Amino acid sequence: MHTPKRRSPLISDAVSMSDTPVASHSRDRSQTNAVSHLLRNYSPQDLSADELFDSNGAVRPVWNDFLHHLAGLSDDAVATRFRRGNQYLRDVGVFYRKYGDKSADERDWPLSPIPVLLTASEWEEISTGLIQRADLLEQVAADLYGPAQLVQNGHLPASLVAHTPGWLRPMVGTAPSSGKFLNFLAFEVGRGPSGQWWVLGDRTDAPSGAGFALENRVATTRVFPNFYAHANVQRLAGFFQDFRNQLSNLRLNPDEPIGLLTPGQMNDGFFEHAYLARYLGLLLVEGEDLVVKNDRMHVRTVEGLRPISVLWRRLDSEFLDPLELNEDSALGTPGFLEVVRAGNLSTINAPGAGFLENRGFMAFLPQLCEVLTGRKLALPNIATWWCGQKEERAHVLSNLDRLRLVPTMGVEPATDTQPLASDLDRFLTAQGEFFVGQEAATKSTTPVWENGGLVSRPMTLRVFLARTDQGWKVLPGGYARVGTGTKSNPLGMQEGGSVSDVWVINPERQKTAATPSLIKGEAASLAQGTALPARAADNLFWLGRYIERAECAMRAFRAYHGLLGTGASPDDPLPELIQKNLLFSPTNSTKAMAFAFEDPVAQAQFCAAKIRDRFSVDGMLALKDLANASRVLSERPVPLEEVPSIVGTLLTKVTGFAGLVHENMYRSTGWRFLSLGLSIERAAQTAKLLSDTLLPSAPEGVFDLALELCDSVMSHRARYFSAPSATTVCDLVVLDVRNPRSVHYHISRAREHIAALPKRNGQHGLSECERLALQLETRMTVDLPDQLTSDGLLALRTEIWALSDHIAAEYLK
Amino acid sequence: MIYDIRLVLTHFYAQSADVGRHRLRVVPIDIPECQSVISWSLTGDPTPSERRDSLDFFGNTASFIAHDIQHNAMQIEMKARVERKPHMPAADLSPAVRDLQQDICRVSDLKPASPHHFLGSSPRIQPSAEVTDYARGVTKSAGTTKSAAWQMCEALHHDLLFDDRATTVDTPLEVAFAQKRGVCQDFAHIMIAGLRGIGIPTRYVSGYLRTQPPEGQARLEGADAMHAWVSVWCGGNLGWVELDPTNGIEVNTDHIVVGYGRDYTDVSPIKGMLRSTGQASVSQAVDVISIETI
Repeated sequence: MHTPKRRSPLISDAVSMSDTPVASHSRDRSQTNAVSHLLRNYSPQDLSADELFDSNGAVRPVWNDFLHHLAGLSDDAVATRFRRGNQYLRDVGVFYRKYGDKSADERDWPLSPIPVLLTASEWEEISTGLIQRADLLEQVAADLYGPAQLVQNGHLPASLVAHTPGWLRPMVGTAPSSGKFLNFLAFEVGRGPSGQWWVLGDRTDAPSGAGFALENRVATTRVFPNFYAHANVQRLAGFFQDFRNQLSNLRLNPDEPIGLLTPGQMNDGFFEHAYLARYLGLLLVEGEDLVVKNDRMHVRTVEGLRPISVLWRRLDSEFLDPLELNEDSALGTPGFLEVVRAGNLSTINAPGAGFLENRGFMAFLPQLCEVLTGRKLALPNIATWWCGQKEERAHVLSNLDRLRLVPTMGVEPATDTQPLASDLDRFLTAQGEFFVGQEAATKSTTPVWENGGLVSRPMTLRVFLARTDQGWKVLPGGYARVGTGTKSNPLGMQEGGSVSDVWVINPERQKTAATPSLIKGEAASLAQGTALPARAADNLFWLGRYIERAECAMRAFRAYHGLLGTGASPDDPLPELIQKNLLFSPTNSTKAMAFAFEDPVAQAQFCAAKIRDRFSVDGMLALKDLANASRVLSERPVPLEEVPSIVGTLLTKVTGFAGLVHENMYRSTGWRFLSLGLSIERAAQTAKLLSDTLLPSAPEGVFDLALELCDSVMSHRARYFSAPSATTVCDLVVLDVRNPRSVHYHISRAREHIAALPKRNGQHGLSECERLALQLETRMTVDLPDQLTSDGLLALRTEIWALSDHIAAEYLK
Repeated sequence: MIYDIRLVLTHFYAQSADVGRHRLRVVPIDIPECQSVISWSLTGDPTPSERRDSLDFFGNTASFIAHDIQHNAMQIEMKARVERKPHMPAADLSPAVRDLQQDICRVSDLKPASPHHFLGSSPRIQPSAEVTDYARGVTKSAGTTKSAAWQMCEALHHDLLFDDRATTVDTPLEVAFAQKRGVCQDFAHIMIAGLRGIGIPTRYVSGYLRTQPPEGQARLEGADAMHAWVSVWCGGNLGWVELDPTNGIEVNTDHIVVGYGRDYTDVSPIKGMLRSTGQASVSQAVDVISIETI
């Protein structure tokens, strides 16, 4: 009664017999042989359905064209195409976080380039079933946060609800201001042995993956560009456009931005959050960007507080509000739930919607569906028994050979870690509320590329639903999780599985041409028109400061080794000055001194990672490259004579990054803060350097050193015909506004940036920052080079730092 | 019995705080037939820029306050006049502990006093094998649920030492139980963990104790600050019974209820978030004076 293993000869027969009209041009024997070669290792396991073959062992017609296309490619062509897909993902910076023992590493996105192909009619069946389920879940949520009649009428055990941590008591009695608890859902769906689709899991709180679905699609179309263009694949962009419109309509005021609330860069989904924010024109915010005032939610921006009333929430409900929910949460916003209860904030989904992820509800949904709608579930969920009830518990205990014991909440355990049978009875009597017994779900298999051909691997679909003004819309494909080997393994990426695109193939050509690209018009301009969040500005400002700090240290480091290369000893006065005063290093070991630039580069990278949504991919790559290169000197011992060339490369990279900032970045407020950070740091560093230079105790050669560190040797030669002196050096690198390395130049630039920053609410005249900057600039203009002293320059640095503090106090908190 | 209650909470900040938001649960509640609040007021210094009072899920008064100015210290003062009525001793109609499960199953609602909320784990109380074994041991001779609860209350009063230096507000109950000392919060958490462990729904009660005892009686422990005790569900007939394990007594007119919850988290007197660096120091002063009934 099950599909027997098929061998290649049978497969090729099947393929040749089931030519579709689309591919009606004759396929010759060599093509057929190529397909059978492709499938030589494809042997779906017994007892299960397969996406490629139907129950008779024939290739499902929807795959025919694709198989022939793939079979027609040489091994080299396949390799080139796969590389193209991966290259795309790396270029865009798609990654996910792997939670390890020590730290959360960024890993390449594990794309399996072979898509899963499904017919439009099959997809229609899945969609209809999931829409029914979405409506049912909405009814259950509305009841359990409202009158709880399902409990009073005995359709749901009170104990199940009371033991669901995600059922948030502070939300009981609150109607969501969008009118609905659920607006964006994901379901795990799998095909069982009989070919029937089953729901394996409900994601109702803050489902992830829709952004990855988009990226899967773009990458996969890079692998099969020509084929995709003619394959009648249903497009994904319309879904996002409709969802975007829904978010837009929920705003209290059309001037407001729409926020995407993320837990931040350490979360495994942060890339996706940044990507979706950019793609949909949403403002990416973290809990600390938000502040509650007078029953409204606001974003802290460089222009002051700006109201916001719609948040697409990717932060789990539990962490939203440390005052009323998880009190240890550092990710949330105090007062969040007060705003929700006041009806002034729509969150997608409503806080507390995640309680429906409790697997225990799956035991009751089939019956609830009949009670509430008079119909059966069109798409059944996997058979489930909730162990909080005596009889059900007994059933599970006596059927453990075919049922899996699974916790009601959280990720499915990686292995079949069943508690020891001896104390299971007692364990479940005490803890039964937190466990279900579920039928061990066999999953259908789908082709994956391995060793030059296709092999079968278990897969499940993740299907996304969004509520729009025309009701629920289903994202047609995009995301399947593919396992590594045996069928019972969970398919999570954390366990080494991969992900592939899903193509829903229409029987005939459809008109909609839109491939996923930035959503146009009103949508895309929205986020840009919004004031810059203060935290983003803060990170940009410090990114600038750290980069400049690193560059100054690299120059000093290079100069140090230049001196050693010309015969100086580390104990000579000039090298010692560099080591102690400029690199702040207690010893003259290469590693200790390299820390002076390694550390700021690492800090810069950390700042940039927090503002991934505002930072170009090229910029991120350049920084990553710089950070890797800057670690070389501390990771392995380097012969002294090689150091100058290594530092030379580093300097090229760091100045390249600064060039990127000034040549490529859009002149937004964000760019101003970044550039402001660079200028403030350089002005302060140069003032300190010149202060050291003017010390009475400064060693011989210090003026040449100052010019070298300020990259002003050539300018000095052109301006003065004499050897450098205190006066000429001060003139050139402190006061000369035409020298882009001078203190004056950077103070002027900082003053211009500050003048161009948005005014705070109701502000008249000069701000404190403008006043300070103007005072500094005036001083640089009227001071004379021979009047500058070491102490005076040190005091100048203190004033530049004070300006930085004022900028922080005025704009960045 | 009528009481005048005054609570003063003071926070000092090492660095001045910028914006702050706090949730307070310090105002006594009305309980039909048992406790009525005649008048109350809540004031802050500096005066909060925002203030909202509402009833939370469990029916407690929650006050949300916010400050939007720089401040180095914050003081909250709550004053209330409350009448507390004595309740007559009721016959022990509670079922045996082993039969309690059937009573629980018969309750099919999620209202604030439904026993379902008060079983299993809660934010600060996870099942503890040691405490459950202890509870099983000290209650094994109990014929009814109520007598089991009473035996647990007496045992804790006997075995644990009141010591306000032994624990902090964040000490896990397992630690307090292991060292056999703590304050009212620890007594209550341990009692809740133990009774829940043997299947008895138990909730946490936060409130005030009269400061000066009536003539000839000993002063109760825990009267200098807000107090905590437990409320035990003794089946459908008897309902909730309140016991004070810190003092080893059944709760009557000396106790004034502020709130019920699954554990301390649900009824903590003050919870706050503010933008400041450095440590904050907190002090609490309580006066509960009985006034002559007219």
